[in-house]
Amino acid sequence: MNEYQYDHQTVKGFILSSIFWGVVGIVIGLWISIQMWNADWNIAPYFTFGRLRVVHTNGLAFGLGVGAIFGIFYYIVMRLTKRPLLFPKLARVHLWVFNAAIALAALSLFAGMNQSLEYAELEWPLDIGIVILWVMFAVNIFGTVIKRKEEQMYISLWYIIATVVAVAVLYIVNNLSIPAGLTKSYSVFAGVNSANVEWWYGHNAVGFVFTTPILAMFYYFLPKSTGLPIYSHRLSIIAFWSLIFGYLWTGAHHLVYTPLPDWIQTTAIVFTIFLIAPSWGSVVNGYYTVGSDWSKMQSQYLTKFFIWGITFYGLQTVQGPTQALRVVSSLIHYTDWVPGHVHMGTMGWVTMTTAASMYYIIPKIYNTEIYSVKAANTHFWLVLVGQLMFSVTMWITGIQQGALWKATNADGSLKYTFYETLIKNYPFWRLRTLAGVIFTVGMLFFIYNILMTIRKGSILAASKA
Amino acid sequence: MADHFVDDIEKFEAKETAHTLPVGWVILFWALILWGVYYFYMYTPSLGGWSQNSALEESLQK
Ligand code: HEM
Ligand code: HEM
Repeated sequence: MNEYQYDHQTVKGFILSSIFWGVVGIVIGLWISIQMWNADWNIAPYFTFGRLRVVHTNGLAFGLGVGAIFGIFYYIVMRLTKRPLLFPKLARVHLWVFNAAIALAALSLFAGMNQSLEYAELEWPLDIGIVILWVMFAVNIFGTVIKRKEEQMYISLWYIIATVVAVAVLYIVNNLSIPAGLTKSYSVFAGVNSANVEWWYGHNAVGFVFTTPILAMFYYFLPKSTGLPIYSHRLSIIAFWSLIFGYLWTGAHHLVYTPLPDWIQTTAIVFTIFLIAPSWGSVVNGYYTVGSDWSKMQSQYLTKFFIWGITFYGLQTVQGPTQALRVVSSLIHYTDWVPGHVHMGTMGWVTMTTAASMYYIIPKIYNTEIYSVKAANTHFWLVLVGQLMFSVTMWITGIQQGALWKATNADGSLKYTFYETLIKNYPFWRLRTLAGVIFTVGMLFFIYNILMTIRKGSILAASKA
Repeated sequence: MADHFVDDIEKFEAKETAHTLPVGWVILFWALILWGVYYFYMYTPSLGGWSQNSALEESLQK
């Protein structure tokens, strides 16, 4: 009875679903990484690069990322509000609708249905489904927060609220379109407007799927797993509001040196550079928190996940703003540097922090300990090495590419053909696949550890009953 | 069961440093805002005069 009220089952369901979609997405990531140096791995029409790439990005952002966000938010909200979810049954339905939606989304992308807007590829019937899904989530989160039994709202709750509100607004606006049949539609925005709205959405998808929810987890699980209170409450709040204020103006940094009016690009760059401050507010807060007792890095295995996770967040939030500067953008935009940036964020910050949160939650649900700290440490080192290798190889080849594209002869003509610059990527693309394999083996240790903990917990529960 | 269910908010927030902002961070915060004002002025065509097109023309002169 209690179990259902507290709704650990739903939390666990989301975590397992998230892991499942994570496996699908990562395997496809490996696959497309091979396709980039060996075209024979394309199997037309369903398994070509063009279709698999969107399954990779959607599967991991929405399946792994958002799935984890749903489950972990339910867990955090129940605890910080000191009450069960307002609508536990709705949360259960939400879990099933989520999995159905991701499965349909994947199938539609394999079939080649695509709005041609990055991270908003899904066609309009699925968009409507996703909006319904999000409303189910929002009702439960807001309802529970409004009826909370703890007056004070901890910083994680603020990040959770921002996530729920911002994603709803962004998703609806960017997907506004006029249907032309069940599987085809035309965006209501056109030309430069369309690009501007798309990247306002695209950048904030990073902001409100890969940043704010992960910070909500960071602020909750770091103190929980180390037993060290957050260094400064005020810093966390100021960083929160300035981050939210800054983020929504920055989308046009994806459109530097395009026909977008100069002043819009400039405004976006200004806000983008400003973001270093609020981002580093959280980084500093994390460091100072553990700074009161660095021995936790050794004695509590989860500490290093969070501290390295926030370190990669810190690196991302310096690298990202730098990329927005006109001079830097003109070198690295359109090159492989960008996937290098992306995967330090997704592998080093997002996946690291969510995996650590799951390591914390699963044993708590079963009132037991993690199956193997040793396996968790192996997981940590493998994903760390895999991720660094991925980013570093892509940075090198990205800069090389950018420099070769810009190189001109004395008469002003281009020094290199596109093909000549392309083949120089091959050794780095091969290394990236190797990096991906190392990362994947690390993730297998993680999954094994989680499943064995669940098994151990179930046996324990059965022996008690 | 119930004991690990709820969280005490006090355990999350340090008392001694609750309202401290590191000085370095505050400097960074204001410096970035000032820099933003400067950059906005310099790179907005109707203010500082720079524009994407004029920059392109200039680079072609060279
Ligand atoms: C084994 C691990 C992984 C491998 C081998 C891999 C590989 C790739 C490849 C080859 C691309 C296409 C790059 C291009 O078009 O030039 C890509 C893009 C992308 N991947 Fe991954 N990936 C992995 C893990 C992840 C994870 C865990 C996430 C998210 C949680 C993720 C999110 C993305 C995103 C958002 C993009 C689009 C980037 C852009 O448009 O610039 N990837 N990945
Ligand atoms: C303050 C923080 C950040 C800023 C200002 C920032 C800035 C940027 C910029 C300017 C680009 C465009 C690069 C180009 O195409 O020329 C970019 C791309 C990207 N960033 Fe970041 N970044 C930040 C943090 C992050 C984090 C934490 C992640 C987490 C995963 C991330 C994920 C991405 C993705 C997925 C793209 C590729 C978008 C695409 O072209 O498909 N960023 N970022």
